[in-house]
Amino acid sequence: MDFTEGSALGVFTCELCELSSPYSFYGQKPPNTRAIVLLEECYGMKDPFSPEREKFLVLGSKCCLCSKTVCVGTDCSLFYTKRFCLPCVRDHLHQFPEQVQNEVLRKKSVQKMSAS
Amino acid sequence: MSHEREKRQSWDWDSPQCRAQLDEVFFRQHDYIQTGRTEHKEFWTFFERFQRFKTKKEMSAPKSSRQESHEGKSKKKSGSVDLGLPKDYDARYRINISVCSKDIEERLGGSEHRRRRETSGPGRQEITDCRLALLHFLDFNQKQSFNKLSKLRREQKSLPIFQYRDRIVELVRTHPVVVVAGDTGCGKSTQVPQYLMASGIDHIACTQPRRIACISLAKRVSFESLNQHGSKVGYQIRFETSRTTSTKLLFMTEGLLLRQIQQDASLGQYQVLIVDEVHERHLHCDFLLGVLRSLLPLRTDLRLVLMSATINIKLFSSYFNDAPVLQVPGRLFPIQVIYQPIPPEEQASRSEKLDPRPYLRVLQGIDQRYPPEERGDLLLFLSGVAEISTIQEACQTYATHTQRWIVLPLHSTLSLAQQDKVFDIAPPGVRKCIISTNIAETSVTIDGVRFVVDSGKVKEMSFDPKAKMQRLQEFWISRASSEQRKGRAGRTGPGVCYRLYSESDYDAFASYPVPEIHRVALDSLILQMMSMGLGDPRTFSFIDPPPASSIQTAVTYLREQGALDEHGELTSIGRLLAQLPVDVVIGKMLVLGSVFKLVEPVLTVAAALSVQSPFLRSAQHNPDCSTARQPLNSNQGDPFTLMNTFNAWVQVKADRGSGSRKWCRRRGLEEQRLYEMVNLRRQFKELLRSHGLLEDDMGRRTEPQDRARRRERLTERQKLHRLKRDHELQENTKRKVLRLEEGLEGDASSGSDGEGASSSKKRKDGAEQTVDIQEVKFKLRHNVNELQEAASADLSSRQQSLLKLVLCRGLYPQLAMPDEHNANRKDSEQVFHTRNKQGVVIHPTSVFASDPEVLHVPEHESSEFGADKGQSNRHQLLAFVTLLETNKPYVSNCVRIPALQALLLVANSVDTNADCSRVVVDGWLELGLTDGDTALKVISSALTLRGEWERLLQAQLRQGGPGSSAGLGLSGPKVSRRELEKLCEGLVRFLLYTEVSYSLRRLTGLQSQNLYIGPQQDPDLSSASVLSSLFPGMKAEPDPIKGGLRVCSYFTYNCLCDSKDLYSECLRTFWSCPHCDLYMPLTPLERMQHEVTCRPPEEQQPEEEPESVNASSSSSSALTRLYHCDICNKDLTLTSTEILKHKRQHLS
Repeated sequence: MDFTEGSALGVFTCELCELSSPYSFYGQKPPNTRAIVLLEECYGMKDPFSPEREKFLVLGSKCCLCSKTVCVGTDCSLFYTKRFCLPCVRDHLHQFPEQVQNEVLRKKSVQKMSAS
Repeated sequence: MSHEREKRQSWDWDSPQCRAQLDEVFFRQHDYIQTGRTEHKEFWTFFERFQRFKTKKEMSAPKSSRQESHEGKSKKKSGSVDLGLPKDYDARYRINISVCSKDIEERLGGSEHRRRRETSGPGRQEITDCRLALLHFLDFNQKQSFNKLSKLRREQKSLPIFQYRDRIVELVRTHPVVVVAGDTGCGKSTQVPQYLMASGIDHIACTQPRRIACISLAKRVSFESLNQHGSKVGYQIRFETSRTTSTKLLFMTEGLLLRQIQQDASLGQYQVLIVDEVHERHLHCDFLLGVLRSLLPLRTDLRLVLMSATINIKLFSSYFNDAPVLQVPGRLFPIQVIYQPIPPEEQASRSEKLDPRPYLRVLQGIDQRYPPEERGDLLLFLSGVAEISTIQEACQTYATHTQRWIVLPLHSTLSLAQQDKVFDIAPPGVRKCIISTNIAETSVTIDGVRFVVDSGKVKEMSFDPKAKMQRLQEFWISRASSEQRKGRAGRTGPGVCYRLYSESDYDAFASYPVPEIHRVALDSLILQMMSMGLGDPRTFSFIDPPPASSIQTAVTYLREQGALDEHGELTSIGRLLAQLPVDVVIGKMLVLGSVFKLVEPVLTVAAALSVQSPFLRSAQHNPDCSTARQPLNSNQGDPFTLMNTFNAWVQVKADRGSGSRKWCRRRGLEEQRLYEMVNLRRQFKELLRSHGLLEDDMGRRTEPQDRARRRERLTERQKLHRLKRDHELQENTKRKVLRLEEGLEGDASSGSDGEGASSSKKRKDGAEQTVDIQEVKFKLRHNVNELQEAASADLSSRQQSLLKLVLCRGLYPQLAMPDEHNANRKDSEQVFHTRNKQGVVIHPTSVFASDPEVLHVPEHESSEFGADKGQSNRHQLLAFVTLLETNKPYVSNCVRIPALQALLLVANSVDTNADCSRVVVDGWLELGLTDGDTALKVISSALTLRGEWERLLQAQLRQGGPGSSAGLGLSGPKVSRRELEKLCEGLVRFLLYTEVSYSLRRLTGLQSQNLYIGPQQDPDLSSASVLSSLFPGMKAEPDPIKGGLRVCSYFTYNCLCDSKDLYSECLRTFWSCPHCDLYMPLTPLERMQHEVTCRPPEEQQPEEEPESVNASSSSSSALTRLYHCDICNKDLTLTSTEILKHKRQHLS
């Protein structure tokens, strides 16, 4: 039953939001997933919310620009052919297509709204 | 291109065949998602949505794509670093997953030529579409799971205790004992165990006062520690455990940890023990703390964490050598306190019903002050069930009128389904008004409460050691409880607390509630302490020692029960009782029953008496329920009614499975209690077996079962396991919305048979979800056929009387006698007396409350005149399980027993006068037998039977001890089946066929004070020595206190003050023994003792029985009884003397 228990390689911690969780694989190939390949080197674990043993969950990866370890949460990073942490996205915002720009700008305004 | 288009037209995404072809590509047996699984189904649903979305987007696409390319140009201008991102936006680029199914695609590609000519089969386009949808689906699932995780982490971080995380771990590392004090909502119960587990500790136990909390905490914590589908976090309660070898954190009840200490005094299996809710001061918790305190010096590596509300923290810290305290602020929203003392004219006097006006005013006030669209429910605290129904009635009238409230009661005697309603949601514009006992103070937490009304009263159980009676009395609450109640209003937002007392009342409240250890009978606790070898309970260092008198009462009681000997040491039966997690009386029944081969019925009765009654009070006044229950009632007593009910239920279960739910509803039964019974029953059985008191039913197990049936059973079990798993996965279903008329149904629905109640619970999709999970668990845990077999065996009248004797001996000294004038009273005014409490009444739920005639002495049988007044052989007593005083002292769970026979067989003290015509039992019941000769014979048989019973019981217990090889059971070397059968036969005959008239009355206080002649200056030593030389088995000694001769531990002869004493010597009359040559003047005692031992051993010298004796003895006499001669193997009806003569014949 508990194959995946206690097989953690370490603890993944997002450098931006500090979300942390043990991870059980790192790389582009989640274990026991035949046809699935990840397009980046990821920290991942068994999906804790799924009863099935081989379901995986990607926690985060490194930003392709600054190499910070970031989680996949939309407040910390986004994926557009590569992983970018949000600070880097903002620095190079103009290079992203409009859809992404709008998304990031919207996020900023929402954050401002909730902060005020 | 035209080919493609053609094919596209023939490709139908909705056709199952087309989908199946794609399943062959993407969802094969070893793929991430497999055909047939739930995820596979979800994918196709997702696919349809995705396609719709795509079509919609394609229609508005041209505009945006043009804009995009324009934007793309501007990008390049200002970029300092080229990120090499694709110019044209595609949602596909946002997904970090790809799916390779090249092998299949290539195969398909290779056959493209051939396939093109056919009109069906997925082409490249279809595969691409499907792949794209799959990628989005996978990405969607990733996002969902990750959001769950991140929400979880956010919530954890926002708990007040989070910032103390490292501090807690550090303190535990460096101190043997740490106190964590925090108020409601600070998160200590869920977080502290996780912090410790995350710090690398692998063996943690966390105790809880309530079973339900163990389960819900284990569930929550395993979810939070991302192990909801594993078993790192588990729970263990009385009947259930989810513990495996990989369990690191175990939630368990306090009682269970104490049991584990009994098995393993050092608790070597744990590194850290967390004792939660210590401030609640439950009996087990106080005791546990005492035990752990003495364990700490022996286990220096053990760490103890006490968790408490911020109440009386110093007490706990100083008890553990000034252990460090970490205080954590709670998370409560501000609560406004309004004191609204009840005006004098609305205060109910003791006898009156509660005046609902003060409560209604609060409801009205809320309606006036707060707009209905502002949500927030009301929680109202009252002291008891009667009060709740009074206020509920008044509030319901108001609610029906205003249409703004749903009134719901909450107390522990409600059915679970009804209790569960308080968690459902009120429709918009309507508030819930939950009227509760103090169960909602700690045990049950209801979210969404904004208003609290506190009556300031609580009903608490206390123990009156003098009357040996529990008492349920109303008290003012403590300030701590008052604050706790208030806090219920501020869990989810700011709230208001109305206190129906004045601030000065509040100030006068006690600071804390009285700890349980000061309020309850300590019998079980003391017994457990003795068996754990904790020494003298009077010197044990409790955190708050109970009064010495309480301990003394318990010790005396245990001695009366035979669990302790006169030196206060555990007896063999006491040692066994300490292992059983039940009341001493119930434990005794189990042990006694197993000796008599009455295991099955005794298991049922013991289990039934250990759980809450399955009979719902609300159904009692429902005529349909009463009629349906009628066949289950037994006028032998409530334990028999319970047994009939259980047996009938088992039959229904075996015949109809989950149809039992309906069966129970029709009879007003709470099925949950029956499930508890069947579980407890099984646990008892295992305990008896492990103590060698039960034959292993190896025989049955090794019985060659045909293979087909075994396989059938196996597949069924697999199916059940699957159902259970599925149910667990679905458990987090949404709460349903209450209907406005919900409060109105209340009581009626529990009795009604309509499918209404259950159909509203049924969810829309599929029959699978309506599965009765209790039924599934039941089938997994129990062998229905075996149960049915045990339940279907009807008790013969012999077995029934034996069972009654076993219950009576178990329950002794809890006996009550009917008042002599009961026959002339109304049914509702029947009065009974116990030794220590006069004027008790039968609880209305008992069978005897509705049928008291069976307890009366039939008029024609009792002589009305002269010296014979009140003489009868039909006197009965009640043995009862509980004596509880509420507004009256009530006895409940009663069984009726023949008075004289039962008393002689179970009483601790039987005293007689010289000719045994007057017998006083336990100093309060007097039996008057006019015929001295008969009296002697009866007492003599009782002595013999008891001696034999005791001997066999002890032998059985010695055999069965934990050290002995298991499975000796009844066929062991010491207790032969034959001896046992003989004893049973003897007891049954004594119980059923003792034909003797006697009077029964209660002694007055004065009479019982001047009962005994007291120590005699010139004790009749000569007769004593004569007796003992004649009968080596019995040592009669002068009794130093009562006077007279102490024949055995419970029987003292000739110690009663009575006119005949003076002439005791004159009572010697010449007598010839019918089967030895003895002829001499003897006192009644001497005769009796001679008779007892002069019986020739029956096994010797078999000889033919002359017919003449048989014939001559047929003259019927009141004294004849059925006698079975083992030598000539005949049933004879003989008087005692004739029996002796008969035996003598075999000797000569």
